[in-house]
Amino acid sequence: MKSKYTNFLKKIILLSILITPNIVNADFFEDISNKIVNNPKRLSYGISVADIDQNEKYEFIVTGFGYPNLALSYDKGKLINVASQKIFSDEFRKTIGVAACDVDKDGYEEIYFLNTDTYSGTKKYSDRLIDLERNKFLDMFEIEKNKEELNLTAGRSVACVDREGNGEYGLYVSNYGGPTRFYEIEGDKIKDKSVDLNLDKVTGGRAVVSGHILTDRSDIFAANERGANFLLKNNNGFFDDVAFDYHVDDVIQNGRGTTLSDILYRGRLDIISGNWQGYHRAYVLRDNKFKDIGNIKFDKPSRIRTIISADFDNDGYDEVFMNNIAEPNKLFRIKENGIFEEIILETGLEPDGFGTGAAVADIDGDGILELLVSRGESKEQPLTLYKAKVKKDSKYLRIKPLNKYGAPARGATVTLITDQRKHSKTIDAGSGYLCQMEPVAHYGIRKNEKSFKLEVKWTNGKKELINISGLNKTITIRQK
Amino acid sequence: MKKISNVLVFIILIIFNFNSFAEEKNYHKELITDWSRIFPDQNRNAAGPKFFKYIIDKKITYKDFIEFNKLYCAVSGSLIDPDSEPDFLFVNESDTNTKICGNYYKCCIPCSCDIMKYSKVQKMKYEFDDGLKEFFVFTIKNPCNKNDFPNRVNKDYFCDGKKINDKQVYNLNDRIVIGLLHDGRSCNKDEIDYIKSHQVTGRYCELRNNTPMENLDAGMGDIFIKLAR
Repeated sequence: MKSKYTNFLKKIILLSILITPNIVNADFFEDISNKIVNNPKRLSYGISVADIDQNEKYEFIVTGFGYPNLALSYDKGKLINVASQKIFSDEFRKTIGVAACDVDKDGYEEIYFLNTDTYSGTKKYSDRLIDLERNKFLDMFEIEKNKEELNLTAGRSVACVDREGNGEYGLYVSNYGGPTRFYEIEGDKIKDKSVDLNLDKVTGGRAVVSGHILTDRSDIFAANERGANFLLKNNNGFFDDVAFDYHVDDVIQNGRGTTLSDILYRGRLDIISGNWQGYHRAYVLRDNKFKDIGNIKFDKPSRIRTIISADFDNDGYDEVFMNNIAEPNKLFRIKENGIFEEIILETGLEPDGFGTGAAVADIDGDGILELLVSRGESKEQPLTLYKAKVKKDSKYLRIKPLNKYGAPARGATVTLITDQRKHSKTIDAGSGYLCQMEPVAHYGIRKNEKSFKLEVKWTNGKKELINISGLNKTITIRQK
Repeated sequence: MKKISNVLVFIILIIFNFNSFAEEKNYHKELITDWSRIFPDQNRNAAGPKFFKYIIDKKITYKDFIEFNKLYCAVSGSLIDPDSEPDFLFVNESDTNTKICGNYYKCCIPCSCDIMKYSKVQKMKYEFDDGLKEFFVFTIKNPCNKNDFPNRVNKDYFCDGKKINDKQVYNLNDRIVIGLLHDGRSCNKDEIDYIKSHQVTGRYCELRNNTPMENLDAGMGDIFIKLAR
C-alpha cells in the first residue's frame, strides 16, 4: 500500500515539473562587471555603442548626469574609458540620451548627446553633436552658424532616421514639454526640420525607434508620456501619424523602453514597448493593425526603463531584457508563435539596482553579446556588465551592414533565412529609451539549423540577398 | 488501485493544463487599450455611459460583462484599479421607487453619494453569448433638453439633438444607462440600516448631499449632478 502511494506521489511530482509552463530556472547570466576598470558609483543614464575614435572597434558610450560621459573600450580583457577630451566627457551638462549616426556623410558616426537639466520644458544647457576631426572632438552646435538651432527643451531620447533612404541621417529628438526636433545637415549647416516635416508636436517624449516598421523606408515609433504614442509612417520622406489607426496610440499609458523585434520570426519587425507602471506591449502587425500578444507575465506593470531584444545565449531565439528601476529586472525568451517564456534571473536581477539604461554589443569579439547596465537617477551606483552562460558548441553569425558612405546602416533590416526561420533584426537607430545598441545584427544559431541565407533591406528599401558559407564570424556587407 | 491512480493523474494533468496555459482575460488592459476608441476626443467627464455601451456592444459572456463593469466609475467616467472594493449602497428603482441594494464600483467616495441621489436603477434583460440574463443598471433621465447641460461634458456622446444618442450610449426606456449595479436585489431592513449608518453611504453622503452645489469641489464636483439632476 505504502509503495502504491509513493508511486502515486512520484507521478504527481513528475507531472508538476512537466506542466509548469513558460518559466525557466537556471542562472542565465554571469556577472563580469569586474572587467570594467575604475567603476565608481555615479549617476549614469543612456548608453550607445559606436566607434568613437575611428579605429573600427566599438565602444560603449555611457552618459553621465553630472558625471563624465564615458567611452568604454575593450582592451586586454578589460573595459577602459578612453574618452578624456572635455567636450566629450562634459560632466557639467547633464546627459541622459545618446545616439550615434553619420549625419555628415563622412563614413563615421557623430554622437548626439541629449542633455537635460530639468524634467520638462525649457532647459539651461543645450545638446551636443560630437564630431571627430583630426583626433579632436568638436561640438557641431558650438559652430556659430548652428547656434540658432540649439535644442533648449528638456528631452529623453534621440534616434537616427534616414528618412529619404539616401544615407543622409537626421536626428529625431524626443523632447518633453516642448516640440520634437528633427535635425539634418543642410549644406554645411544644422537645420531643425521638424516644422517642415510636421513633427514639431509637444508631448512628454520618452522613447523613439526607427526602422522598417510599416514601409520600405525608415518609419518612426515614439512612445510618449501623458499623450498618445506616435507611429510615423514614412511617405516619401514625410511622415503621417497613424498610431490611432494601427492601435498603438496607448493614450493613457506612459511609454518607456521600446525596441523593434521580430516577435514571430516571420521576417518583419514588430514593436515591443514598455509602459511605466503600466502594461508592457508586444505589438504584432495583423490585418493592418497591431495586436498586443504579450502574456500575463510579460505585460505585468513594472518600473520599466530600457527594453532590449537580443539573442544573449546564442540559441537562435531572442530574449527580451527588461531593465527596471528600483525593482528586479526581468528576462523572457521569445519562443515560436510569440510565446514569451520567463527566464528567472539570479545574476542580473539587481533588485536594488536603479537601472537607467542598458545596451548590448559583442565588445570583446568572442561571438557572445555583453550587456552593460547603467544605473543612477536617485542613487549613485556603478555600472554592471553581464554575459550569458553559453553552451560550448553554440554558434553565431554577426552581420554588419555599412551604407554607401561606409557608415553603419542604422535603420536597415537584416533577415536571416534558414530551414527553421526567417528572422529579422534592425540595425539599431536608437534610442528605445535613452540607449542605442551596436550596429550589428547578432544571430545565435539553432540546433540542427541549415541552409543559411541573408537578406539586407537598406534604408532605401532595396533588398540584397547573400548566401552564407560558414558560421562563427562577422560579415560586413557594403551597400552598392 | 493502479487504474484509479492513473485516472487521477490524468485528471490532475487536465486541470493543471487548463489553469496553467489558459491566459486569464485581462479586462483592465482591454479597456486601457481601447480607451481612445471609447473616448475619441479624450474627454471622459461623466462618461460612464460610454463605457457601458462599449462593453455591452462586445460579443461577450455574462461573466465578462460583470468583470468589465467593475472597472469604470459610472459617475465620473474614470477607470478603476482592478482590485478596488465596491461600496454597498441602495438606489431607488425608477418605476416602483423601492430601494434596490447592491455593489457599486467607484473611483472616489463622493461618486457613491452622487449615484445614490441622482440616479435610478432599472431592471434590464440582455442576451449574452451564454444566454439571456437579467440585472439592475443605473440610469439617468434624458439630459438633452437641458439649458444648463454641463459644458465640460461632451454632449455629442449623449445626445442626438434632443434625443438620446443610441449610437453612443445605451437607451433604456428613454433613460441613459450609466453603469451596472452589481448583485442588485430588493433591500431588506437590515441592509438599509447598514447603508444609512455607514460612514460613507450614511454620514458622509448626508453631508455631501446637503451641500449647495456651488460648494461641491470633491469628486466630479457638480459636473455629473448638472447632467443627472
